Amino acid sequence: MDLLLHLSIVIAIYSIFALSLNIEVGYTGLFNFGHVAFFAIGAYTSALLTLQGVPFSLSMIAGIGFAGAAGFLIGIPSLKLQGDYFGIATLGFAEIVRMILQNQVAWTKGPMGLPGITRPELFSWRFDTLPEYLVLALGAAILTFLVIGFLTLSPFGRVLKAIRDDETAAAILGKNAFACKMKSFVIGSLFAGLAGVLWAHYITFISPGDFTLTETILVLLIVVLGGKGTLLGPVVGAVVLIFFQESLRFLRLPPEWSSILGPLQQMVFGLILVLLMIFRPEGLIREKGKEKIDRD
Amino acid sequence: MKKLVVIASVVSLLVWFSVAPVRAAEDIKIGAAFALSGSIAVYGEGFKKCVDLAVEEINAKGGIKGKKIEIVYEDNKSNPKDCVTAVRKLITVDKVPVIFGPAGSSNFMAAAPVAQESKVVMLSAQGTAEKLTQAGKYIFRIIPSNSKQGQRLAKMAFDMGYRKLPVMYINNDWGLDLKDGFVTSFKKMGGVVTDIIPFDEKKTDYRTELLRANRGNPKAIVNLTYINEGAVQFKQAYEMGVKTQWLCGSAARAPKMVELAGKAAEGIMGTYPSVVQDTKAYQAFKAAYKKKYGDDKIPIFGDYNYDLVYLTARAIEKGGYTAEGIRKAMPAASKGYKGVTGDKTFDKDRGMQKADIGIWIVKNGKIEDYKK
Amino acid sequence: MDSLPYYLQTVLNGVLAGCIYALFAMGLTLIYGVLNFVNFAHGELIMWGAYFLFLAISEPFALPLYAAIPVALVITALLGAAMDFAVFRPLRQANRLTLLIAAIGLSFFLRNAAQLFWGAEVQTYGFEIRQGYQWFGLYLTPQQLAIIVISVICIIGVYLLFFKSRMGKSMRALADNLDLARISGIHTERTILSAWVISSLLAGVGGILLALDTNLNPEMGVTNLIKAFAATLIGGVGNIWGALAGGIIIGLAENIAVLFISPGYKDAVAFVIMVLILLVRPYVVIGERRD
Repeated sequence: MDLLLHLSIVIAIYSIFALSLNIEVGYTGLFNFGHVAFFAIGAYTSALLTLQGVPFSLSMIAGIGFAGAAGFLIGIPSLKLQGDYFGIATLGFAEIVRMILQNQVAWTKGPMGLPGITRPELFSWRFDTLPEYLVLALGAAILTFLVIGFLTLSPFGRVLKAIRDDETAAAILGKNAFACKMKSFVIGSLFAGLAGVLWAHYITFISPGDFTLTETILVLLIVVLGGKGTLLGPVVGAVVLIFFQESLRFLRLPPEWSSILGPLQQMVFGLILVLLMIFRPEGLIREKGKEKIDRD
Repeated sequence: MKKLVVIASVVSLLVWFSVAPVRAAEDIKIGAAFALSGSIAVYGEGFKKCVDLAVEEINAKGGIKGKKIEIVYEDNKSNPKDCVTAVRKLITVDKVPVIFGPAGSSNFMAAAPVAQESKVVMLSAQGTAEKLTQAGKYIFRIIPSNSKQGQRLAKMAFDMGYRKLPVMYINNDWGLDLKDGFVTSFKKMGGVVTDIIPFDEKKTDYRTELLRANRGNPKAIVNLTYINEGAVQFKQAYEMGVKTQWLCGSAARAPKMVELAGKAAEGIMGTYPSVVQDTKAYQAFKAAYKKKYGDDKIPIFGDYNYDLVYLTARAIEKGGYTAEGIRKAMPAASKGYKGVTGDKTFDKDRGMQKADIGIWIVKNGKIEDYKK
Repeated sequence: MDSLPYYLQTVLNGVLAGCIYALFAMGLTLIYGVLNFVNFAHGELIMWGAYFLFLAISEPFALPLYAAIPVALVITALLGAAMDFAVFRPLRQANRLTLLIAAIGLSFFLRNAAQLFWGAEVQTYGFEIRQGYQWFGLYLTPQQLAIIVISVICIIGVYLLFFKSRMGKSMRALADNLDLARISGIHTERTILSAWVISSLLAGVGGILLALDTNLNPEMGVTNLIKAFAATLIGGVGNIWGALAGGIIIGLAENIAVLFISPGYKDAVAFVIMVLILLVRPYVVIGERRD
C-alpha cells in the first residue's frame, strides 16, 4: 500500500512538472530542454531555507519565486532564439545551474547533497506520513491543473497557440510575441519550481545528481506521450509512464537479467518514442482542432 | 481516444496486481537494492556475485536455523529516485526486515530515511561518506568512513616525505568527502596543499587538469579518482611525460583500472579500507569465488558485500527474523566478528570501530599490498 | 615545466579537444542545414562508429587497423542511412518537435543497444601506451597528431564537397528551400541521403579518433555532443565554418579556463560563452544562414 501511495505522490509531483512544461512546449512551442533547472532551483531554495529554520510556507514561496525569477533572467537572451536553438540554450543554462549546485560547496554542500530536509508544515498542518503528503501533493497538482487550465482556455492561451502556430502572423495582428513567450516561460518556471519544492520535501534528500538532462527528457516524454497542447495530456502521460516503468518490477524476472533488462527497457522506451512520433505524434490525447500535422 | 487511455491504464494495473509475488513463507528474505542498471551498474554486478556466493555457502551449510536465505534483488537504476522506489518496494511488497542498501553515498542517503521511517534495517557495504548513517538507528555500515581513510592517506604522504602536494579529486560525494578528510589531516600534520583540482566524472580528456596539477613538477600528486577516470588520467599523464608519485584512494584500486591504463599505472600507490589478504578466511573466500565464477578478480568491495551477508545472517540468528530483532542484535553480532575484511565491530554511530586502512601499489601490472 | 610550455601545452590540449568538437559539430550542422532539425542521435553515431572499429579489430574478425577503419566507417555510414530510412524519412513533413523527439528516442535506443552488447564498462582498443614526442617542451602523441591532421583533411573535404561539387550545390539548395529545390529538379532524397552519409562519416571519424586517444564507453557520444551543440550555436546555425570555429573556441576556452578557475566549472565555460554570444550578438543565431 505504501508503495502505491509513494507512486501516487511521485505521479502527482511529476504531473505538476509536466503541466508546467506543457504550457511552454505544448501551448507556446518553446522547446525547453533545461526545464529541470527550474525544478532544481525550487528544490534547492526551499530545502536550504528550511534547513536554516525558515518556515515551510515562506521557503516554498521563495522556491517558486526564485524559479520564476530565473526563468525571467534566462528568458531575456534565449527567447530571441528560434526553435531548436532555444532548446540548446536552455539546455546549457540547466547545465550551468547543475554545475553551480555541484561546485558552490559552501552554499549547497555540493555533491554531498542535502540530507534531513524536513517534511512541510502549513497553517499548523503537518504533512508527515505518506497519506498526508499525498493530500498535499494532490492538492498542489489540482491547483496547478486549474490555474493552467484557466490560463490556457483564456484569450491568453489562444494567443500563445497563435504564436506557436505562426509567430509572424501573431505579430502582425498586434500581439507582442516576445512578451507572451516570456509570460508563458515564467509561468512554466514557477510551476516547475513548485514541483521541485514538493519533491525536495518529499524525498528529504537532494543532490545535484538528481537534476540532469535525463530528468528533462523524462518529463518531456510524459508531455509528448500524454498529448502536448492538451490540458489532460501531461497528467495521463505521468500516470501511464510511471506505472509502466514500475510495473516491470513486478514481472519477477530473475535478477541476472537486470543487467540486460535495464538497457533493454530503455531501448523499448526509445523505440516507443520513435514509433509514437511516426504513427501518433500528437500523443495519447489529441489536441482539438489539430487533426493534421503541419510543417513549420 | 479515451479508449486507448483506458486500455493503457487497465493493462498497467493488471500487470501491477496479477504478478504480485507469491512465495514460500518459510524462507528468510533479505532485500538488496543494488545498481543493476544505470551508470554504476558495473559495481552492482560485482556486489551481486559476492552476495550470491555467501548466500550459497550459508544455505549449503543449512541456512539460518534450518531456513534458507533468499535475496530479493531490486534494481535501483543508479539514481536516487529509483533507489527510494526500490527500497519502498522491498519494504511494502516483499516485506523484508533488512535491506542491503544502494552503493554510492548519495543514493544510499536518499533511501536511508525511508528505511528509518519504516523501521527496517538498512546496511551499506561500501558507503564511505561521513554522514552516511545519520538518518537513524536502523542504518549501519561495515566499511570505515572517509575521514579515517583521509587520515591514513595524509599520514602515508607525510611518511613518504611529501610536504607540499596538489590534490585532484573526482567531483562527487565520495571524492569531495575524502578530499576534505585528507586535506584536514594533511594540514594538521603541517603539510601544504598547493592546489585543489576537482574534475568531472566520465570525461575523456583530463589533460589540462593534469597539467595544472603537475605545475612545478611536484614529487607527488594526490588523485582521488575512480576506475575509468583514473585509467584515462594516468594514460594521459604518461603521454605528457608527467613523472610523479600518484597517491590514490580506494576507488581506483581495481584490476580493471590497471588493465585499462597499462604501464601508465605502474607504481601508483593508494590507501584502501584494508583487507589483510593473506588470512585463511580471505584465501578461502578467494578460492570459493574462483570456483564459482572462474576467475580470481574479486570485484571492488565484493569482499565487503560477502561479509555483509554473513554478518546479517549472524544478527538474524541472534535476534530473530524481525527488523527490531536484527537491529538490536547487530552490535552484539558484530562484536569481535572477524569477516574476510577484518573486525566488523560497530561503533556508537553504527559504523566501523576498527579501521584497518592498508596501502596498495601497482607492481608489474598487479595490485599488491605495499610492504616497506 | 616552466611557464611558456605550460601555456602552450594547454593551447595544444584546447586545439585537440576543439578538433573533436568541431568534427561533431560539423556533422550536426550539416543535417541541420539540410533537414532543419537538431539530430540528437548524432552522439550515438559517434559512439557506434568507435564501437564498430572495436568490433572489427577484436575476435573473431581481428582485422588490422588499416582495414578495420574503412570497414567501421562504411558501417557507420550505413547506420546513418538506416536511421534516415527508418525514422526520419517517414517524418519528412513532420514539425520540428516531432523530429526532435524521434531523434531523442533513437538516441536512447542506440545508446542502450550498445550497453546491451558491450556493457557499461569502459573498453579500450588496447594499443600500447606511448609517451608522446617532445617538441620544444610540448608533448604530442601519434594519435593526437592524427586527430589534428585528419580533422584538417575532413574540413577540407567537406569544404570541397559542399562548395565545389554538384552534390554540395544541391545540398545548399535544399537547405535554402526544400520545395523550390524539388521543383528545380534536384533529387531531394538522394541529396538528403548523401548528407546523412557525410554526417555519419564525420561522426565515425570523430568517434574513432576520440576512442583511439582515450577509451570507449556507451556515453562517449552524448557527453561530447552537448559541447557540439554549443559549438554550432556559437558558430551560427547551419554554418559549416561556424561549427568549426565554435568547436575550436570551446576547446580552447575550456582548457585555458581550467588553469585559472576551479576545474569543476570546466563544462560551464562552453555554455557561458554561448550565453554571452547570445547577449552580445543575438543576430548570429536567429536562424539566417550565412554560407
